[in-house]
Amino acid sequence: MPSTPLQGIRVISFGTGAVIPDFGKIMGELGADVIKMESRENMDFMRTIGADPDNIGGFNESNRSKRSFGVNLRKDKGRELVRRLIKMTDIIGENFRGGVMKSHGLDYENVRQVKPDIIYVSSQGFGSGGPFADYQAYGPMLSAASGLLSLWAHPTDPYPVGANVPLPDHMASKQAVFAAIAALDYRRRTGKGQFIDMSQVEVAAGLIGEACLDYTINKRVQKPAGNRSPYSAPNSCYRCKGNDQWCAISVSTDAEWQAFCRAIGNPPWTKEAKFGDVLGRVRNVEELDKLVEEWTLQHEPGDVMNTLQKAGVAAGVCLRPAETLTDPQLQWLNAFVEVDHPVAGKRIYPNVPFKMSEAKLPPSRPAPILGQHTVEICRELLKMSDSEINRLKDEGVLEVSKR
Amino acid sequence: MAEQQEGTLSGYRVLDLVDKKGAYCTKMLADLGADVIKVEGPEGDPTRSVPPFAGDVPHQERSLYFLYRHANKRGVTLNLEVPDGKSIFKKLVASADVLVETYPPGYLASLGLGYEELKKINPALIMASITEFGQGGPYRDWKGSEIVSYALSNTMITSGFADGAPINLPGTPSYDAASLIAAISIVTALYMRGSSGKGQYIDTSVHETSRLGLYPWMVTMYSYNINPGSPPPGPEGRLGAAIYPVYPCKDGMIRVVALTPRQWDALVKVLGEPEVLRLPEWREFFYRIANANDLYALMLEFTTKYTMLELAERGRQEGVPIAPIYDVSGFVSNPHTKARGFFVDVEHPAVGKYKAPGPPYKWKGTYCGIKRPAPCLGQHNEEIYCEELGLSRDDLAILRNTGAI
Repeated sequence: MPSTPLQGIRVISFGTGAVIPDFGKIMGELGADVIKMESRENMDFMRTIGADPDNIGGFNESNRSKRSFGVNLRKDKGRELVRRLIKMTDIIGENFRGGVMKSHGLDYENVRQVKPDIIYVSSQGFGSGGPFADYQAYGPMLSAASGLLSLWAHPTDPYPVGANVPLPDHMASKQAVFAAIAALDYRRRTGKGQFIDMSQVEVAAGLIGEACLDYTINKRVQKPAGNRSPYSAPNSCYRCKGNDQWCAISVSTDAEWQAFCRAIGNPPWTKEAKFGDVLGRVRNVEELDKLVEEWTLQHEPGDVMNTLQKAGVAAGVCLRPAETLTDPQLQWLNAFVEVDHPVAGKRIYPNVPFKMSEAKLPPSRPAPILGQHTVEICRELLKMSDSEINRLKDEGVLEVSKR
Repeated sequence: MAEQQEGTLSGYRVLDLVDKKGAYCTKMLADLGADVIKVEGPEGDPTRSVPPFAGDVPHQERSLYFLYRHANKRGVTLNLEVPDGKSIFKKLVASADVLVETYPPGYLASLGLGYEELKKINPALIMASITEFGQGGPYRDWKGSEIVSYALSNTMITSGFADGAPINLPGTPSYDAASLIAAISIVTALYMRGSSGKGQYIDTSVHETSRLGLYPWMVTMYSYNINPGSPPPGPEGRLGAAIYPVYPCKDGMIRVVALTPRQWDALVKVLGEPEVLRLPEWREFFYRIANANDLYALMLEFTTKYTMLELAERGRQEGVPIAPIYDVSGFVSNPHTKARGFFVDVEHPAVGKYKAPGPPYKWKGTYCGIKRPAPCLGQHNEEIYCEELGLSRDDLAILRNTGAI
């Protein structure tokens, strides 16, 4: 039995931003040897959003548990080295702009000439083919183009703005991991490789498939519902005591409603007949929400959550990052891991979010410095001599860490 | 071109005992060809009553939620709380590779159907539990919902306008995050089983996974920002409107993502290099965030001169990402979605023919698509119980009468 789930599997990542970097990180967390191809000339853009490319939180999170191979893909010799590594590789993930891999001669059709059973996950914002195929696309644009953003607003908002969240990036990365490991299992059974062309805008649309059907079947274009639910009330995010403090509450059944009323001390308005059943509460939701908020405003969000959950009512604080670190359930789940990065120091990262009874997972390793593992990969995998490595370094084909 | 019928996961059988937390998980497995059997109580899965409905007719076969999330699956009815139901369930388990369940912690064990029991029947079984908060810990028995789990994901606090209430995401995104991550662990376990021959138990929770599917950088960015010398901005404010601004144009709205000075310069070019946008301070990302309202007022004059697609295309040429903001009809109908063939034909016995969203990827080596509509209630009882498990039709009649199926 292998010591980690993906032991012995090698992944090459041509990744930038979030999707393929996060994909590679997860493969690394499961025990694969993940090699990130990068160069100073064409850096992962997440390395470029701060002063020091090795000290950026988002980059260092999504690139943990990988090795960095500094190589210039614009040079013939660089591409040749990559092709030699691909022969020893099981899975390739790439999310460069549409057409870039082809221009390097590293697209699926070319790669499978040297590695016929390669599993190749290619993921562009809009997928390949079609008029938008080579649009540069970040997650927030894909939530915009998928219809998701149009529904992510209060009904009274002048236009939708969504959140700081680059949705669907980190959903797409998981979809890619799922696909690659399913393909790996298929290869184990059949010996066959795969090419998977994943469209991130379709990942976003997949989150609102019901709304898509409402259009294709009912010809209805849904409007944003904000925090309201068609079948439960109260169901919203309520302002609480304090500065910008909020707690979400959901009451669905009549039993939950009665528990809710008891928990907040049975104020007289809870006895009103119009709130007595689900239909009445949904119909009179505007008035109901105001009354509920009168109660939540007197309490801190953590107290609202605890009081209601103890009574069997779903409630959750709009947590901020600092609060998640002290969340007792996340602590119990061991949801965070501290990793010591040579430049960034000790920082907190999310841990692997599932427990598998038969899997031993390797410890999380810090994101690499650009070119940190170039030399060791040349020696170990490519069996190159130091003089050869130095020559290619001088020619600008290989790049090594300067730290 | 001959259509490939075999999917990547063809040959695996998955038992689906899930509510909203796991519906997308088993859908992912089904889309890749696994034989997913949805096991519902005799009264039907509660999500069959989730609105809206096809033709706005409330009916157990017409919930759009159910039609979307359970396409590609077969369906049986079964009452796990009666002895006959339990013994049939054990037969199903013996024939299955994977079981996915979302019951409250301890429920299946209380019926004598916990992992410890089931692995005696089928040591190769992979069983995955998706719960709101996990199988133990202080919140184990707490309740969740779409909006509650989104709030707890620590991303809702960043949703919406800076001075408004945080806004829920449409759909069931926290549950889909849990589903995606559970699906990863399931295929990983299948891959491991290939060499070990052994099954295993997987425990995952919405509380832990939601932040990872929505935005895993929040805590890490915080942990970088609490230290001196680290770069702004903090991740916590509601900055969507400032970081990823939305502007009106001739025929709708666009979203612009200009992060680097080069992208900003490209945006100014796209808009015809107006003087007011050429002030050097606008090139600074953080200056633009701090002065987002002023910038918005300035931009309107220029963005409204163009259509969505004119701006997207000019952005592509100049090097700044600009996207149209589509409503669902715009997404369904635009030439790109059509060229990709994302919507596929489905025919359902009660609803008729319609176009449904396909999986978000195309596979070259194997089939991946929508082969069958969501099952009608108990549609495959005979097929599975009689033809596959060997019960007689008389047996089924009795089981129906006693409420076991």
